[in-house]
Parts: sequence; structure tokens; C-alpha cells
Amino acid sequence: MTGVPASPGGPEAVVPAALDAVALDKLRELDPDGRRRVVQRVLTAFESSLARWLAQLEVQRGDSHPATVNHIAHTLKSSASSVGAKELAQACADVERRLRAGETAELAVDVERLLGLGHSALAAIRAMLRA
Amino acid sequence: MSSAIAPFADANLSHQPEVLLVDDDEVNLLLTALALRERGFSLVEASSGEQALKLLRDWTPDIIVLDALMPGLDGFATCSALRQLPGYENVPVLMLTGLDDDASITHAYEVGATDFYVKAPQWSLLAGRLQYLLRASRTRIELERSKSKLARAQDLARMGSFDWRRQGGGMLLSPEALRVFGCGPQDPVSLRALLRMVPQDERRALLRLLHGSLRQNSVLATDVPIVLFDGRQRIIHVEAEPEFNDHGQYAGYTGILQDVTERRHAEDKIRQLANFDALTGLPNRRQLLWRAERALDQARRMQHQFALLLIDLDRFKIINDTLGHSAGDELLVEVGRRLRACVRHSDQVLESGLEVTGARSHRSLEAVGRLGGDEFVALLPEVLDDQDAARVAQRVLDALREPIIVSGQECFVTASVGVAIYPRDGTTVVDLLRNSDVAMYSVKAQGKNSAAIYSPLLAGRGREKLETETALHKAIEREELVLHYQPKVDVRAARMVGAEALMRWQRGGRLVPPGDFIPLAEETGLIVPLSEWALREAAKQARSWQQAFGFADSIAVNLPSRLFERSDLVEHIHQCVTSCGVPHRVIQLEITEDNLMKDLQNVIPSLHRLNEIGVEISIDDFGTGYSSLAYLTTLPISELKIDRSFVRDLGITPQSSAVVTAIIALARSLGLRVVAEGVETLRQMEVLHRLGCGLMQGFLFSRGVPADELQRWLEQTVLPRKAPWIGAASAIGPNPVDPDAVPASGRRFR
Repeated sequence: MTGVPASPGGPEAVVPAALDAVALDKLRELDPDGRRRVVQRVLTAFESSLARWLAQLEVQRGDSHPATVNHIAHTLKSSASSVGAKELAQACADVERRLRAGETAELAVDVERLLGLGHSALAAIRAMLRA
Repeated sequence: MSSAIAPFADANLSHQPEVLLVDDDEVNLLLTALALRERGFSLVEASSGEQALKLLRDWTPDIIVLDALMPGLDGFATCSALRQLPGYENVPVLMLTGLDDDASITHAYEVGATDFYVKAPQWSLLAGRLQYLLRASRTRIELERSKSKLARAQDLARMGSFDWRRQGGGMLLSPEALRVFGCGPQDPVSLRALLRMVPQDERRALLRLLHGSLRQNSVLATDVPIVLFDGRQRIIHVEAEPEFNDHGQYAGYTGILQDVTERRHAEDKIRQLANFDALTGLPNRRQLLWRAERALDQARRMQHQFALLLIDLDRFKIINDTLGHSAGDELLVEVGRRLRACVRHSDQVLESGLEVTGARSHRSLEAVGRLGGDEFVALLPEVLDDQDAARVAQRVLDALREPIIVSGQECFVTASVGVAIYPRDGTTVVDLLRNSDVAMYSVKAQGKNSAAIYSPLLAGRGREKLETETALHKAIEREELVLHYQPKVDVRAARMVGAEALMRWQRGGRLVPPGDFIPLAEETGLIVPLSEWALREAAKQARSWQQAFGFADSIAVNLPSRLFERSDLVEHIHQCVTSCGVPHRVIQLEITEDNLMKDLQNVIPSLHRLNEIGVEISIDDFGTGYSSLAYLTTLPISELKIDRSFVRDLGITPQSSAVVTAIIALARSLGLRVVAEGVETLRQMEVLHRLGCGLMQGFLFSRGVPADELQRWLEQTVLPRKAPWIGAASAIGPNPVDPDAVPASGRRFR
């Protein structure tokens, strides 16, 4: 499903391609009858935090600080995984591992990659929230 | 966890655990909180370390979950900071870290985290981990609590624990144990230093004991006297058992020690009270009997003699009564002190294990003890012969010879000592005590202040006396007592002028003579009820004779001086005569010259009162005592009775007629009546008459006879003038010193 952009308002977008169904099911398990609107609250929280982190990543374009990028990747890694943004979570883990190992050669590429996957995930989240 | 602390655990389980969750990532924070709430936790969320520390200022969660990586104050710094807060030293902290983050895990422990957890949406695992940490925390809290309870209990019991390692480590004392030795928790105290607290002579014995236990790996339990650094003396009870390592090799000792000084003092006090007389500090009856039993055992086994000396103070009651009880106590203390010095007195409290202390150990039984009152016992566990015991008895008598000062007064105390020797005088302690008592009483009977060794002869006498005494007690109620009457006769007129009542005891068909029971009655005090009975009986008899033959004279009753000292004597006589409807004068009282003079001062007031109501007083056995003539002139008496000893010798020795002449002359000049007693022959009668005494009493006329017999004697002998003495008396005729010169009623005092 790599590279499939979220189609805004797509009719089959009950589960947009960017979000993992298993992870979302896990979220729903926390609120089986949906009364507490857990999925919505989590997705809303992720939407705002992802938007904030993406804005910070934009700043890193061109002149990247490994530590800052590392922290953003570390934070996004687990929350992306929680909402089912698997590709983003995986990319974050890769970036984090490389940076901790001191491999900064690919930093600019990584930033671009995270931005791409991040925006894609953001679109998928928004699509879900509007559904 | 033991059942004792289960309630705390239950309380904690029923309470919803409070969790502080700290994570800067909103999504994680939200998700984790949701998942944990779902599993029964109560959550408070914080999005930064700073916010978390702020929350902890007013509230303490049961557990804290920290995200390791956060901007600003991260998890490590937050953990580090909260561990510094008072009360947060032991709150469980769970650090959330990345999957492959070894450095973070190590760092987490370094800053004081309790455990770590790899971030993952496995909520059940996280909740399980939190439960585990909470339970461990509760267990630790309970442990702390019971540890402090134990410490408190040990402190109260002056108890502490210690460990001693054979190799390295040496002596390890708990703070409570250190306190037992008067040391602070930081003071270094070595085994050597502790041993130095034990007094030197005890230390050697203790070291022997310690080495013995070490050699055999045996349990150690002993009391150790110590002197603390501040000089206080304590007794420490030590109980320890050997410990073995995993290979079964002996590794050291572990045990407890306790300050048992107070308990030991209390036990000593109890033992002291149980075995020693509180006043004199000497062994008491219980301890004495115990020692005597042991001495008996030893003497039986080793076939030697042992002696019991019963020491009873003479006249102690008088000292007690006149100087008061506290003076009496003072005296007993001093007597105890002196008696102690007469034997090789041993103060040791002996309760068991005599056998282990050697063949001559019975020597440690030797003691003087107090049986009670003024009775002491000297126990001589081994004597060679009677002389051995007699020497100690003499030492006792000598020890009391010096006066004892009590209440500022010199008192002279003597004692009567009775000795009984095993096996000759008894083979049980009870027999020996009884027989020493018999011997002691024989001393009392023979004038006190001496010692006697028991002999079966004494016992016979004593037993008989005891039986007589018991029977005499019952004699009145059983109506075994009777009065016999001996007439007083006016020989010239050949008529009876009165009678003397003589007490007789009809005991089991046998008449007991007065000499066999009157002294005993005097000694035991029974003489008082006996005399009162006699007065009642005499009054009744006077009434009866009055009706029978117009008796108008008096019946003389013999009274001991102690009755005259009784304030109720006059009242008693008054009751006796008025209840019988006879005048007071029908009762005449006889008191012996000896008795009268002995207690003259105490008797005189009674004599006056008796005289006032018309009761005459006669002096019996006159001439044998030491009358003060000066007193005699002022005493309210009416009659002198010449003692039978002078009468007996009349016409045989010239001295006796001289005495009788003098008595008669004295009586005449004092205006007193004279009666001669013990007249048995006509010759005595004639001489008496010639000397001027016409009133007589004796076998010549009649012996003491029952009342009805006396009446018969009057009717059949006197009135018909049939007796030989009547003729003889008429033949003598009147005399210049005719008894009629004295008024028949005698001299009456006012």
C-alpha cells in the first residue's frame, strides 16, 4: 500500500489505505460500544500532534539537526504505530535507529521521507475523522 | 504474607490504585490512560516532568509511570528529582523506554526507577507489571511496618538480636541489642568489648561455656551479669543457636539477648519473701522445714546425727505488752542477729541440687530461723553427740545474757531451749520439732532460761498435762466440778460458824485432788471461769442451807489474786448473791498470804470495794509468806487463817506455839478473827484453845464433804453434841484469851 495517497472523501475510505485495520481494531477494543468516542479522540489527538511535528520537520528541511529529527522520529514512532500508520511508524523507527548509530549521511533524505509519509498519514486521519 | 498483616493487604486491594502517568506525547498519554482506566486504575496524567513534580507536591500516587524521553525534564531527571522528595524514597516508579535501548534501562535503574517497561500497546502486560510493582511495594511496606513493630517490641522488652560469624564479620548487633548494652546505633561494639563488660570472675566461666558451645555446635542459653560503661549492673539473658551454611558447615551463631535484670530482681525478691522472715531476715518456717528435710535425708544417708534446737524467748509477751509491738519487733531483730552468730549460719536459698555440691554440702543447711512469734529454731545438720548440741544451746543462752536496748530501755531477755536429736528423738522433722517443743516446755516449767534435751519421760508428762488441760476446759460444761465444804468450828460453843468451799473435779468416776488441776488451771487461765463458777455455786449452796437449816454464816471461796485484779469481780459476786436471794455477806473470799503480797497494789482497790458491799476477806496460809506488817494494819481484811504447818507442830516444837501465839496477838491487836487450819488432834485443839484461838478447821471436826453430807454432820454429830471434841472443848472452859473477845463478825472496814 506504499505510496497510495489518501483520496479525499473516497467512498471506500471507511478504512483509508494509510491506516492499519488491526491497529484500529485494537483502539476500538478500548471502547467497544463507541460511547466514549475513543477512536475519534485518539485520532484527533494524533492529528494535532502530527501536524505540529510536521511543522517542526519543515523547519529541518535543508539544515537538519540530527537530535531534533531523532526526537521527532522517536515520538512519532509509537503514536503512529498506535493509530495504525504503519509506514510512518516503520520509517520513524529506521530513522531513529540510524541516527542513534550516528549515521547522519541520509538525514536530508530521511526528513523528506518522514514529511511525505507524515502528510500522507495526516490526510488519512483527516479522511477518517470526516467520515 | 502472614495472616496478621492480611487486613492491610485487603485494604490496599479494595482501593483503586492511583497512577501518575507522565508522557509528553498526547496520543500515548491518552491511549495508556484509557487502557489503564479500563483495567481498574485511577489515572492522573501529566505531559511533562515539571508538571509531574508539581502534582507530587500535594498528592502521593501509589505508583508513577514515566516516559523516559521527554523534552525539558526527561523521565530520568524527573525520577531523580522525585526520589529526593520526602516520602518518595520508596514509591514504585516504572520507566517507559524504547525497545532496544540498553542505555536507557541502565540509566533508569541508576536514577532510582523501580522497573522499566518497553513501550508497546500491550496494555494487559503493562497493567500486570503495575499490579506486580504495587504488590511488591505493599509487601515492602508491611515488612517495614513489622520490622519497626519488632524493633519497638524488642525495645520495650529490652531485647535485641545479634549475629556472630565465624569467619569475618564478627559480632553484628541490631540497634535494639546495642541499646541493651547502653550503646548508640552507630557505636562499634566488638565481642571482645562485650566480654570486657562481664566481671572478671564471671568472665572465665562464661568463656568456658562459650567455648563448650562452639566445640559442640550446641544451643547457648545463659544469663550473664555485666557492668555497663556507665557503671550500672545488669543481667543479660543470651540465647543463640548455631547457623550452618548451604554446605551444612557451621558458620556462626544467631540469637537474641535480653536485659532480664528487673525480672531477676523480682524473682530474687519472690524467693526472698517465700523463704525468709521479713522482720529478722532469717529463714522462715518454710525454708527451715525444707532445710530440715534435706538435713534429715543427708543424716540418714551418711548415718550421722543432726539436731534441732527450739528456742523460745521467756516473757516476750510481757515486753511486747509493756513496750509495744515495735519495741518487740526491735528486740526480735536483735535476738535474731545474736542467734545467727551462734551457728555457722548460711543464708543461701536452697531449692534444689544439693547433691551436686559435694559430700559436706549439708553444712550449708546450718542456720537459725524464725518459726514465728518469739520462736526460733537452730538447725545443726551434723552433731557428734548430745554435748555438741548442748554447747550450741549454751551459746544461745550466753548470747542473750547481755541486755538488749529497745526503745531506749535495757531489756533482759532469756530463752528456753529444747533440743531434739535425729535419730534418737525422732526420725521425721515433725517428730523432731514436736519433741524439741516438749523439751523446751520442760525448761519453761522448771523456771525457764535454760536448755534441755528431749527424753521420752518429758513427753509422757507433757502429753498427760495436755490431756488434763483439754479435759479441764470441758469440766464446767460437763458439770464435772463440785464443791466440797469443810466447816469452821467454834470449839467452845460447839457450833459451826461457816464453811470453806473446796473445789473437786469428778473425772471419769475418780476425784481429782485440787493439787493436780488448780496449778494447771492457774497456768492456763482456766482458773478465772473456774473461780466464777465456784462463787455462783457457793451462793446457791448458802441459799439452799438457809432454807434447810437456817444457815446464816458465810461460805469462804478461795480466789487467786488475778481474780481480784478483774474489775468485774464485785459485779459478778453481786449477781451471784442477788440471783439466789442471799445477802452479800454469805460469800467470804480467801486469798493466800503469798498471793496477796505478790500483787498487793493491784488487789487493794478490789478488797476495799468488796468490803464495802459486805464481802469479808480472809488471809489464808498466814505466817508462811512475807507480810508487811505495815500493810496489814491498813488492809480491809477480817480474818487470818493460821497455816496448817504451825498447827501440825503444836505441842511438838516450842517454836510453833511461839508463832501461833504471835499471830493470835497480832490479830487481836488488829481486831481480826483468827482461824486455825489443819487441826487433826484433840491435843492441837487444846493447845490452840489455850493460846486463845477458838475457831478451827480440820479433820478433827470434818474433812471437806459434799453439801448434803455436811448437813447430815451437823444434824447427827454437832447438834446431838456427840463428837469427842465437843466434850473436850467443854472441859477446857473459857480462856483469858477467849476468841469471844473478838467480835464474831470480825473487824469491818469502811
